[in-house]
Amino acid sequence: MRVLAALATLLLCIGFATGAWAHAALVSVEPANGSIVASAPKSVELRFNEVVTPGAIRLIDGTGKVRDEARVSASGETISIAVPQDLPQGTVVVSYRVISQDGHPVAGSVIFSIGVPSATQVPTVADGGVNALIWLMRIGLYLGLFAGVGGVFFAIWIARSTNGMLLPRGALLMGVLGAIASLPLLGLDLLGLPLTAFLTSAPWTIASRTSAGTALLIAIAAMLVAGIALRGGQGARVLSAIALAGVGLSLASSGHAATTPPQALTRPAIFLHGLGIAFWIGALAPLVVLMSRPTAAMLPILNRFSRVAVPVVAILALTGLTLAIIQLESFAALVETKYGVILSIKLALVAVLLALAAFNRLRLTPALAKNLKTAPALKRSILAECVLALAVFAVVAGWRFTPPPRAIVPEAPLAIHIHGEKAMFQVLVSPGKAGTDDFVLQLMTGEATPLQAKEATLTLSLPERGIEPIEYDAELGPDGYWHVRKVELPFAGRWHVRIDALVTDFEKVTLEDDIEVAPR
Amino acid sequence: MSKATYLIISAGLISTAASAHVSLETKQAIAGGSYKAVFAVPHGCAGSPTVKIRVQIPEGVIAVKPMPKAGWSVDVVEGKYTGEYDYHGNKVSSGAKEVVWSGGKLPDHNYDEFVISTFLTDSLKPNTTLYFPVVQECEKGVSRWIEIPAEGAARSHEGKSPAPGVKLLPKP
Repeated sequence: MRVLAALATLLLCIGFATGAWAHAALVSVEPANGSIVASAPKSVELRFNEVVTPGAIRLIDGTGKVRDEARVSASGETISIAVPQDLPQGTVVVSYRVISQDGHPVAGSVIFSIGVPSATQVPTVADGGVNALIWLMRIGLYLGLFAGVGGVFFAIWIARSTNGMLLPRGALLMGVLGAIASLPLLGLDLLGLPLTAFLTSAPWTIASRTSAGTALLIAIAAMLVAGIALRGGQGARVLSAIALAGVGLSLASSGHAATTPPQALTRPAIFLHGLGIAFWIGALAPLVVLMSRPTAAMLPILNRFSRVAVPVVAILALTGLTLAIIQLESFAALVETKYGVILSIKLALVAVLLALAAFNRLRLTPALAKNLKTAPALKRSILAECVLALAVFAVVAGWRFTPPPRAIVPEAPLAIHIHGEKAMFQVLVSPGKAGTDDFVLQLMTGEATPLQAKEATLTLSLPERGIEPIEYDAELGPDGYWHVRKVELPFAGRWHVRIDALVTDFEKVTLEDDIEVAPR
Repeated sequence: MSKATYLIISAGLISTAASAHVSLETKQAIAGGSYKAVFAVPHGCAGSPTVKIRVQIPEGVIAVKPMPKAGWSVDVVEGKYTGEYDYHGNKVSSGAKEVVWSGGKLPDHNYDEFVISTFLTDSLKPNTTLYFPVVQECEKGVSRWIEIPAEGAARSHEGKSPAPGVKLLPKP
């Protein structure tokens, strides 16, 4: 018993000990995204808003060649890529895939140009069915956690008999296999490796270092404990309860929903949500078995289940709603984002599932109490519930591939390159949309060496809207670039940009061009 | 607002703007002759009184002699020319590169002129414009009359602070 208590405490600690988690987002890049540098920098620094684990990081040079010799090192929020010094002129693409604290990969790419920009193509990495397998294994894992662990809990606490547990046993087996296979698949996905690298150590190691790895380990532990509980004997009730708690813990320790602030709310919510699903879905298969051989003995079982099921469903709905509101931020996101679409489909399926459950509870269960011959009707209805639940799992497993609207990383800044006779200026506008923007001016001579200026001014106008030139004084930052912060661009459209760089008291270099500012 | 109104307003703006620039009084000169450059300073920097006027002497302009001015001290910054010029039989390869009037105070509501006597060597190309960039320093702020339009640039792209210029004519 003491061992069990210790195990439970340990599970709790793994689940909740990690600090503030959020979805990783790229905060800054050095050299700045879209910028032009005179010569290859020593390194490229990617800074994120949280500690990240580097996955696949590739540096593609101006000729489109992937430079494998670029060394990657990570410390805290920063990932540093040592740049080979023989890079040819042209646009360098750094594509990154890092693992955020919620265990999901965040991918993107940044560019900078050495000397002159060029149209460097990023070679695509074939997925090779990794995603499809991740999805399938995820469904298997859900089956194991909900139908398996939930089924065991039902058998021991509600049915008080472990007869006819073939299906939950099968689900447990599937779940354990799914969880074990998910681990290297996750690693393959993070590292951008093909399926053939399944048996190498890299994907296993990297996956086990992420929170998703932790979640999988908790899930495996929970399913094993449930398997032991199924053997009966003393402590089976406690064991099955611990396994059920493990389901909640596993879900609460990783994923978008669990790692969103305020975590004091989201983690307990997802924990209860998981518990509720396991209780409800776990009961379905054993109930179908019971209905196949209707006896008077099953009536108290049905009653016990129904009594608990009503508050459980209420908790499920409440926690689900809370989590959805936090993740979506707006109703429009329900249709506008992939995450929202998946949630919409799930909600529709759950609505049907709930209607079916209500029908069973209010009509078929009382009918069964009067006449045992109505059992086949209830059985069919519960079977339909099973199918729907499976559909929900399949849909929800797709969430793994979509960041929630809350976590969508801002796009790369708008950049223009103005080339003049004596100088060339690179202008970065972030976010590059109507509203408040920050400008970075990188001034270079015609030979791509830094242009020493005494002053720099930025002048903006939008002729199509009758906005006359507005002048802004730029400030020289410690990075050697000129900055104009918090510029109001009231409208989208083709803005005229003019930059004056005062080189000596009597000489200035002026370059101008147009930029297309996107709507807000 | 109709197009015609726009035109009238913009024409008005241009004409006032032109008269408000620091400019040269004599708009034409002969390349290979002497030239009295009279810089007209019509106002301060956004209302602030002028305290210093710096004129850059372009290459090819020699024999620079600023006219002293009561209440102002005048300094000449000398340096090497890029080329070598013939002045009354003497080879000249260095001389004034910049003329600075300082120590005075010209209120915004007053007008004044700053004069330099020069010789325009025949190394300067006729039918071009010779620019004398001017930096006007005030108690508050600086106005730089240093914009030189790129060759062949459209008139409409003229900057808002053009350098004073003089049209060079061929020797008759």
